[in-house]
Amino acid sequence: MSLDTEVEALRKVPLFRGIDETKLRLLAFISDRMEYRSGERLCTQGEEGDSAFIILKGAADVMVQTPEGEKTVAQVSENSIVGEIAILCDVPRTATLIAVNDMDVLTVSKDDFLKLLKEFPEMSLEVMRTLALRLERTTRDLAAAQSGAAA
Amino acid sequence: MEKSLFRFIWKFSARQQIFILLITVLSYPVSYVLLELPKLIVNDAVQGDGFPREILSFEFDQISYLFLLCISFLGLVVVSNGLKLYINVYKGRLGERMLRRLRFELFQRVLRFRLPHFRKVSSGEIIPMITSEVEDVGGFIGEAFALPAYQGGMLVVQLGFIFMQDPLLGLAAISSYPIQGYVIPKLQRKVVQLSRLRVKNVRLIADKVGESITGVPEIHANDAAAWHSADLSDRLYQNFKIRYEIFNRKYFIKFLNNFMNQLTPFFFYLIGGYLVIEGNLSIGALLAVIAAYKDLAGPWKELLAYYQMVADVDVKYQTVVENFDPPDIYPVERLTSDETVELSGDLEMNNVSFSGGAAGQEVADINLKVPEGQSFAVVGPDGSGRSEVLQLAAGLVSPLSGRVCIGSQDLEKLSASTLGREIAYVGGAVHIWTGTIRDNLFYGLRHRPLQEVDREGTKLDDFKRRLSEARETRNPTYDLEAGWEDFLAAGVDDIGGLERRALELLRDVRLEPDIYRLGLQSRFDPTLDDAFAERILAVRAKLGERIASDPQLAGLVELWDIERFNSSASLAENLFFAVPSDPEITMDQVPELEEVRSFLHETGLEDKLQQIGIKIAETMIELFANVSGDSGLLGTYSFITQEELPEFDRIVRIARSGQQRPGLTRADRDKLISLAFKLVPARHRLGVLDEEMQKGVISARAKFHEKVVSKGDSFVAIDPELYLPPLSIEDNLLFGRPRVDRRDARQRIDAVIRTIVEETELREPIVFAGFDYHVGVSGSRLSAGQRRRLALVRGLLKNAKVTILDDIASGMSDEDVALRKILREILEGRTFLFGAPNAAVAKEFSGFIVLEQGRIAEDHGEDA
Repeated sequence: MSLDTEVEALRKVPLFRGIDETKLRLLAFISDRMEYRSGERLCTQGEEGDSAFIILKGAADVMVQTPEGEKTVAQVSENSIVGEIAILCDVPRTATLIAVNDMDVLTVSKDDFLKLLKEFPEMSLEVMRTLALRLERTTRDLAAAQSGAAA
Repeated sequence: MEKSLFRFIWKFSARQQIFILLITVLSYPVSYVLLELPKLIVNDAVQGDGFPREILSFEFDQISYLFLLCISFLGLVVVSNGLKLYINVYKGRLGERMLRRLRFELFQRVLRFRLPHFRKVSSGEIIPMITSEVEDVGGFIGEAFALPAYQGGMLVVQLGFIFMQDPLLGLAAISSYPIQGYVIPKLQRKVVQLSRLRVKNVRLIADKVGESITGVPEIHANDAAAWHSADLSDRLYQNFKIRYEIFNRKYFIKFLNNFMNQLTPFFFYLIGGYLVIEGNLSIGALLAVIAAYKDLAGPWKELLAYYQMVADVDVKYQTVVENFDPPDIYPVERLTSDETVELSGDLEMNNVSFSGGAAGQEVADINLKVPEGQSFAVVGPDGSGRSEVLQLAAGLVSPLSGRVCIGSQDLEKLSASTLGREIAYVGGAVHIWTGTIRDNLFYGLRHRPLQEVDREGTKLDDFKRRLSEARETRNPTYDLEAGWEDFLAAGVDDIGGLERRALELLRDVRLEPDIYRLGLQSRFDPTLDDAFAERILAVRAKLGERIASDPQLAGLVELWDIERFNSSASLAENLFFAVPSDPEITMDQVPELEEVRSFLHETGLEDKLQQIGIKIAETMIELFANVSGDSGLLGTYSFITQEELPEFDRIVRIARSGQQRPGLTRADRDKLISLAFKLVPARHRLGVLDEEMQKGVISARAKFHEKVVSKGDSFVAIDPELYLPPLSIEDNLLFGRPRVDRRDARQRIDAVIRTIVEETELREPIVFAGFDYHVGVSGSRLSAGQRRRLALVRGLLKNAKVTILDDIASGMSDEDVALRKILREILEGRTFLFGAPNAAVAKEFSGFIVLEQGRIAEDHGEDA
């Protein structure tokens, strides 16, 4: 597996869709490529988050603590980025990630990601656009939920 | 100390000076005859008559007479030059010995200064005094008496000759002397004053430079470089001004001398010519006088030069020595005495006052009683006099009035041999000596050489010579190579016992884990301890088994296998399957090694590696070309630094252009190869290393082992059965590399290593290996906390009757509280003084006092 295949995978991540290839290569190069075996933890809820994960292969369960114990709330799989909130603002991990099968993951550390954003403002714009879209969707969902509750 | 240089020289080398004088006088007739003999050969042997001659009842005809004279001439040449050689070496040796004596005396005086004196002098000033400033004195000592005596004698003889010819001409010859004798000393005095100024200014420069070096983080942190530059530059200008002034005056003196000396012939020609014309003097006599006067100029010049040198050297000597004679200097016996008085009894202070010379360094009316064997706290914030009281109790400073006693002994009257052995003092500002941890641990037990070294043959002769030289120069005769550790005082039998005791204390103060880690990272020479190396290899095997049996672990490590490529190791390690024997060799230097170069050339790998290097360089340039240098991305992730980027850009362009000229230089190719060598495939994922290349690398290993590793000793093969001295102990324990693409692989493997080390009881020897860790200049490679704890163990290891700690573990954190508890346990039954800034700790001790502004504010001692 080399940088080129990683760049291919990064391109499929929505957050990085509009970013040109050399920058993606740079991002791939400064990230750490990690293997996780089935059942290994990528991160634990409540911990301080210092990196984001870009899943190249395999999938992970997203689990949160509930009064009844840990519960799986979602599954993330190939070409998705998780934990990016943690590297943009200092909040503890909101969920635990556990590999469901053997995974290949690119780990981007917080410092390096921020440096990269500083270096390439167009990348920040892209990140901002993605986050804004997400916020807009959340707001709409919330409004729908409220009007649903009111009805 | 002798205030004047001449007194110093005469006091310590009168005999040798007289001897030099005798030899010099003795050499005079020899050189006189040597000058006369050629005349005799020409006039008497070649042109003379009346042969055969009879000498000592032997008859000589003309040829054999000539032969005899020439042989005597040859003999005298040998004797004269031999004497010169002998006397020069003799003078040099005397000068060196006196210099050694002077320097040692100065250093010993520094050790005799009282502590408060060091607030007034700085090392930046003292160092040049002892080293460079007295240097000239050594060269002068051999000449001090012989030169004026000899040249003066010559002068008197020549003058006598002139006076005998004609008193008037004699007067003319010395007519300029009174003027020179009057004017020159006056001018010289000004030069001496300037020299003094210059010496002091240079000292100040040395001091400023020294201070800038110690305070360099402050300079950068405050952007004060400009101020310091201006400050130093100003000093340098001062130096220039003084120097320039000195030159002016010095050369003016020279000018005056030359002028006066050449003025005298003027009188000769005028007065002598007049006398000849008048018929009162024969022309032959005048010519003889003029010739004699020429001979006179030599000694006179020498004497004047000597006079200037005396002035110069004497002022240097005085400006040095005056700094080493403070009125309150300790007597020399305090340092040299080897007598230890047992200090038992209560520690008492009666009406003690002390002043360190500044506010906040004073104490007054201290009355204190610490019963023998008790723990006692001295509480007070910094500046309350706490440190002063504790230093008084340790005998480090002397009270202005009152008495500090332990039992019946007044500390003021005791020598360092008692104070430094019976009392252990660890102050807030600890000093760690440059050297190993072991040196620092056992430092407090190294008072005198105790175990003699067995020496034989040339070593013994050399040692005897060293001793006799030391005696000659009143230096100490302590043997540096002897065993200095005082096992008896530490309560152990031998060095092994001492190490174990140190280990116990290190555990107690929680420094042992640090030393263990240092031990793991340290290198160890297996030739020193075969058994230890064997044990490490045994652990390596065991660790290998455990990793093999546990699939979890196996996924974290890539073990060395000569048949397989290791993606978590660098390409260089993969290719050589060996490491350079010299751990100082960096990857940049490896391609330059002759054996590596020829190996790469023979196997044809050179080109392939170069291609890999080019690909890496290209990728780096592509990735980082648009990244600004200050983002820090390049330094952290690239193989290449920002500064090297343009250089590699150039290399890549040349390589890609395919032109023969200018082509890549050898240095360029080495750079590319070293770039390839640094590649760790699993980390860098550049995809530049294909299957085929990996196979090529694996197959080249055997060849490298055969051609390079077995031929010389510049590489050590990676072999499961072999300890690899260039690698750290830790890297020797794990026969492989933690995988770089597994999260926390290093930490998880370390944990496994730690458990196996514990199981096999290897931890202790590894800690002992850590004892040999070099702590850097003044312990700079240790953290402040580690330094403090190391100093604490050093103090505890002394096993002293009285232990005094100032501001060590005096906080209220759990760690400090626990440490204090342990300290009290260790020192149970011995007098223990503990200085702390906050009163909260005081109740842990059986008694305490509280200090405020140099006075006791609260007394919770036994009597209170």
